[in-house]
Parts: sequence; C-alpha cells; structure tokens
Amino acid sequence: MEKLTLLIPGIPIIIAFLLFFINKKELIPKISIVLSSMIALLGLYGTYYVMSNDTQIIGFNGLLVYNELSAILVPYVAILGLVIRKYATKYMWDEAGYKRFFILLNFIFASIYLLVMSNNLIVLALAWQLMSVGLYLLVSFNVGSKTAVKNARWTMYIHKGADFVFLLAVILTYQTFGSFDLLVLKEKWLIMSQSPVTDPMVLTVGLLYLLAAMMKSAIVPFHIWLPYTSEAPTPVSGLMHAGVVNVGGILLNKMAYLLILTPMVLNIAFVVGLFTAIFASMLMLVVSDIKRSLGYSTVGQMGYMIMEIGLGAFSLAIYHLIVHGIFKASLFLESGSIIKYARKDPNIPERLSHKTFLEENTKFKSSKTFKLIAVFTIVPVVAFVGIKMLLAPEFFGFNAAIVILAFAWLTGTQLFLSFFKVSKFDSIKAIFGIVSSFILVLFTYEFIGLSLEHFLYGHDSLLFYKAATLNVTLVSALVVLSFVMIVGWLFIYKQHFKTPVSTKEKANKSKWSFYKLLVKEGYYFEIFNSSKKGKL
Amino acid sequence: MTTDNIVFLNIIFLLLAGGVPYFIILEKSNKFSAKAIFIVSGFLLLTGVLLSFYTDREYMTSFVLVSFFTALYSIYRATQTTNFYKLGYYFIFINAPFFILFEEHGAFYSLSLLVSLLGIYAIASFYEKHYGSANYLYVRGITLATPLVGIHITVYLITIGLYPPLPNSLFFLTHIFNSEANALWLVIVITLYAGNFLVSMRVLERSIFGKKNPNIHYVDLNFKEKITHFAIIVSLVLLSIYGMKEILTWA
Repeated sequence: MEKLTLLIPGIPIIIAFLLFFINKKELIPKISIVLSSMIALLGLYGTYYVMSNDTQIIGFNGLLVYNELSAILVPYVAILGLVIRKYATKYMWDEAGYKRFFILLNFIFASIYLLVMSNNLIVLALAWQLMSVGLYLLVSFNVGSKTAVKNARWTMYIHKGADFVFLLAVILTYQTFGSFDLLVLKEKWLIMSQSPVTDPMVLTVGLLYLLAAMMKSAIVPFHIWLPYTSEAPTPVSGLMHAGVVNVGGILLNKMAYLLILTPMVLNIAFVVGLFTAIFASMLMLVVSDIKRSLGYSTVGQMGYMIMEIGLGAFSLAIYHLIVHGIFKASLFLESGSIIKYARKDPNIPERLSHKTFLEENTKFKSSKTFKLIAVFTIVPVVAFVGIKMLLAPEFFGFNAAIVILAFAWLTGTQLFLSFFKVSKFDSIKAIFGIVSSFILVLFTYEFIGLSLEHFLYGHDSLLFYKAATLNVTLVSALVVLSFVMIVGWLFIYKQHFKTPVSTKEKANKSKWSFYKLLVKEGYYFEIFNSSKKGKL
Repeated sequence: MTTDNIVFLNIIFLLLAGGVPYFIILEKSNKFSAKAIFIVSGFLLLTGVLLSFYTDREYMTSFVLVSFFTALYSIYRATQTTNFYKLGYYFIFINAPFFILFEEHGAFYSLSLLVSLLGIYAIASFYEKHYGSANYLYVRGITLATPLVGIHITVYLITIGLYPPLPNSLFFLTHIFNSEANALWLVIVITLYAGNFLVSMRVLERSIFGKKNPNIHYVDLNFKEKITHFAIIVSLVLLSIYGMKEILTWA
C-alpha cells in the first residue's frame, strides 16, 4: 500500500494527459483539483507511514524514495498545488489558454515531486531540467506581451545555465564517487567525513552543486530572472515564489552529506547568502514597482536560506522555505481581493507605513521611548539565548550560533520596533504583551525547528554545524556580534530621532550615489547593455 | 578494424551526417530549393544512421573537428534564417559532431533528431500550404491563434533544444554519463548543447509567441495533418521510452 506513494510524480502527468482531451472548460479545474487531492492524501499517508514506522519507502529499483525530506515537502507542495489550482479556477477563467495553463501547471508539479522524491542523480537531473522548461512556458504564458516573453527568455537562459552546471556536477560525482544512488552516496560521504578530504574534485563537485542551486534560487548575481517575471499570471507568481525558487535549498539538502566534506563550499554559501539577503532586502526597499519589490523580497529570503545552509543549519533552510513559501503565496494570492476592495473603497490600501512611521512618528520622541528602544535591542538576544539554552544547549558549541544570534537580534529588534510603533501605546502593559508574545513565537519557532532537525537528520545535524564552523575564535566572533549590535543600535536610534530632511537641504553625495546604485538595481542592466554594445 | 577502414568509415559518416557544409553549394544552385536540401540531407543522415547499426564505430579526432567547425557555421546560419525548411537542415549540420562523437549512441540520437525534424518538415509544409511560404516571421501569435500548431512546434523545438523527457535529451545524457570527458569532448558538448538550445529557443520565441497578425487568416491542423503529427509524436514517445530505459539501466 505504502508503495503507492511513489506514484505521486506520475499523477500530475496523467492529469495533464487527460486535460489534453477534455474540451468542456468547467471540467478542466474539476479534474485537476480532484486528482491533485489524491496526491495530497497519498502524500499525507506517506508522511504518516514514514513517521510512524521510522523508515523510508523506496521503489522503482531505488530510483525514487519517500524519505524524511519527502515526508515534509511533498504534502507541502501538494497542498500548495491544491490552493493554486483552486485559485486559478476562477482567476484564469477569462484568460486565453485556460487548458494550456492547467496542463503546464501539472507538468511543473510533476517535476517538483520528481525532484523531491528522486533517489538517483540521473532522475534528479531529469526533474531539474523538466522544471526549467515548464517554468519557461508558464512565465511566458502571456504570449502576446513582449516584456513577458523577453523576461521568460532571461529566465530560461539562467535556468539552462543551472541545468548545464548540474549535469556537469552529476558527471563528476559519478566519476569521483562511482554511483548515482543518493543513499549509497550518503553512506560513502559519511565514511569519508571521518577523515579530512583533500581531493580537489570533491570541492569542485560541491561548488558546482552550490552554483546550480544559486542559479535556480535566484541568488546574486543570478537573481535577475525572479523580480522581472511578475508579469506571469498571479497563480504562477505564487507557485514561483513559494515552490520553484526553493529548489536550490532542496538540492543542497539532498547533497548535505557531500557538503560535510567541503567546508569551504559551506563558507562560500554563507557569504553569498548573506550578501544576497542584505543586497536584495535593500533593493526591495527602494524599487518603485510593488511586484518587483516582492520579487526582491523573495531573493532576500532565498539569500537567508542559502546562508542558513552555509551555517550548517540545513533543516532550518527547509523550515524557512516552507514558512516563507506559505507567506509569499498568500501575499500573491490575496492581491486580487485587495484590488477588489480598493475598487470599492478609494482609501484602501491605506498608506499604513507612511502613517505609522512618518506622520505619527513625532509623538514618540520622548526619552522614555528611547529607553524602551534600548531595552528592546537587548530583549531579543536574551530571549533567543535563553530558549536555545533550554532546547538545544549543544548549539553553542559552534560559532554558527553567533551568526544566528546576530540575525535573531536584528530580526527581533526590527519586529519589536514595528510592533511598538504600530501599537501606538506607550505603556508597560503593551510592552509586556509584545515581549511575551515574542517569547512565545520564538519558543514555538525554535521548538518546531529543532523537531524538524531531529526528524530530518537526527544526530548528524551536529556534523553539519561542525563542518560549517568558520575558522574564527569565539572572542573574535563575539567582537563582531557586539560591533553589529552597536552599529545596528546606533542606526535604529538615529532613525528614530532623525530630524525630517528639508527639501532645500542638499543630499550627501555618497548617500545619493548609494541610493542611485540601489534604485538602478546594482546597474545590472546598464552593465549588460554596455557589454552588448561592445563598450565593455 | 584496420586504420584504413576506420578512416574510410569516418569519411563516409562525415559526409552522411552533414559533417561537411555541402549545403553552401546546394544553396547556390538554382536546382535545389530549401525543401530539396532538407530532404537530401535528411535522407543522407538516415542512411548514415541505418549504416551505423551494422558497422563498428570508432571516431577520429580530426573528423570530429571538421564537423565541429561545420556545426559552428551552421549555428550562425541558423540564426540568420526564418525559414523552417532551412532551419531543419541546419539542425542536421549542427548535430553532425554528436553523431560522430557519440559512436553507438550517436545513431539513436540522430534518429530521434530525424524524427523531430520530420515534425519541423511537416510544419514547414503546413506553412507553405496555408501561408504561402515556410517563413515563420510574420505568422506570429500561433499559440493563441492555432493552439494545435503551437503545441507541435513547441514539442519539436523543445526536443531539439535538448530537454527531457524527450528522446534527444535522453540519448544525449546517456552518452555524456557513459563517456570519459576530455578537452575536445567538453568543447563540443558544451558548444552544441548551448547551440541547439539557443537556436531552438530563438525560433520558438519568434514563431509561437507574439500577438496575432490581423492581416493573416490563421488555419489550424486538419484531420490528415493531425494524423501525421500524431504519428510523429507517438514515434518521439516510443523513442523517449527506449531512451528512458537506456538511461535508467545505466543509472
């Protein structure tokens, strides 16, 4: 019975095949949704089986596996798929190519399931490439639009690059380790991890997988395909931001045991992830187009995901991609209803951020507020350390903890300030409410994160943290953390007490150049156009 | 096999697979239309494929190099044309190095290439019949106007663009997973992998996408044409099944 779970990647193909012969428009979404529900049920059954029996379901001569990773991701993708199909039923009704849309949607879901459930590098390579072509046809769905087609072309170029790098990595993996089977390879990699690995080929293979993951997950400098593909129908955007873009993280999780052998690759992943997270978040704040802004937000989140992998927190990356996926899909899928309300009420959407942070900001310029902010910058760190000490004290044995601590502080402080400003109540009661809800949220997050880590990797997760450990002493790591905290605190302080900029005042030149750099999205297109004209 | 035999066979296969750019001479001749060159080169490749099933293959680097330069020139020419017939035979010349380099897998790769090119030929004939020529540049917006034609063009070009689970890609992957890489192998595989992809995507974008041209009376496939394309698609599916079996046996 449990072997039926392995049929999941084939079901969307069957749906697509059936839809091809159906002419009655009403039946297209119905068939698609009913049969996709089967996938969700099978996925949930598979997850129950894997969890209750503490085993994996292997089939098709070991080509497919329903393991711990599949048990988490397949139900997620299946439920996401159901929501997107349901949403698209009415959203796409008047669009030309209704049937084509559902057929393509099923093809791309088939490739995602195949990718998640593959236990063989060749099957993984097939799924990896199938996803590229499916994505291209979906992104260019609006065939009459020149920009949609042009952006789809860019997407295709980057994904084809990822396909090629991935193929190269697979060939080299086979030549180096002598197998395509991921379970066999995992055992080999675990044995090899017991002694230092000096073979440069292992490093090359690790780097190639990282590069392929970066391309598909829109990590800088391969990010440009994602913010510009928002012209695709909203359900496609939802799928792209919640599903397709995450495949880099999924791939690196599948290769986790290989990356133990290549700490340098993990360190590179950390650096590029960190840079992407910061750079894309800044771009998100300055671009004028709301859809591009959302695109850059996803790029930033992907940066976080790769950074987490770089720190050895592989399971955290999976948790992150699921949480972010649900959040971003709901943002995209809700956009239609906001437009609907906005048509009825001209005051929607309200300029909440402007109202909260600028118009009303002057009210909080008191010394009492300043003291509260100072407290808030410490509370997140104290809360995070306390919860981690309680749930996983061994975590502090690795200096990755310092980096995660720094990010916990940054995110926590921002969250605190946002809540504080939005709440508009300068009272002990409000502060207590915010602090206690923050601790509750953090505790839940950490508890789920740790449970996921134990479920996916068990005690092996410590091996990842060990491999990812940066070669810095605890003292220097603490110095860096203190530096980040002080600079961050000063920044927040200045932001809170800044005097409004006069229009007559001339902007600082370096600030202006930096702003221009961000508005022009890192001069990406200028550099490309110059190289095209032969100026470079 | 003696060295003389190897050289002789390599020359034969080089000519049959389109390793030398004889299309340059044929294009200049008034007697050969693009359609005729397509048929001649396709027929020669088919002969090569059939012949290779009965002979032992061993490639020589110099012949691979000759076909590689022909392929590079053909890629350039393919980017200059908007005619499906011309495009069809350029693809034969572009893929000649694979036929020679891949040895026993080259035959199946070329066979699936031929089947997908048969599809391109059927599309070219369709265009010629309904729109006056096999030129696709002004017959845009096919996806919306005539979805069936659009689907078939997409499938054929994606097959040639080396995307799985279509057979060209599967035979290509079977070979690359099976063989030992060297510098020449890498250069050829990378160039032609990118070449096939870029040319086919360029044509795909220019043919099926875009808005409908209001000056054109669009016509979709009739029953007879549907049967022809259905047969081609079934052949591709059968080759895909075989290719999948081959690649998974290796896995």
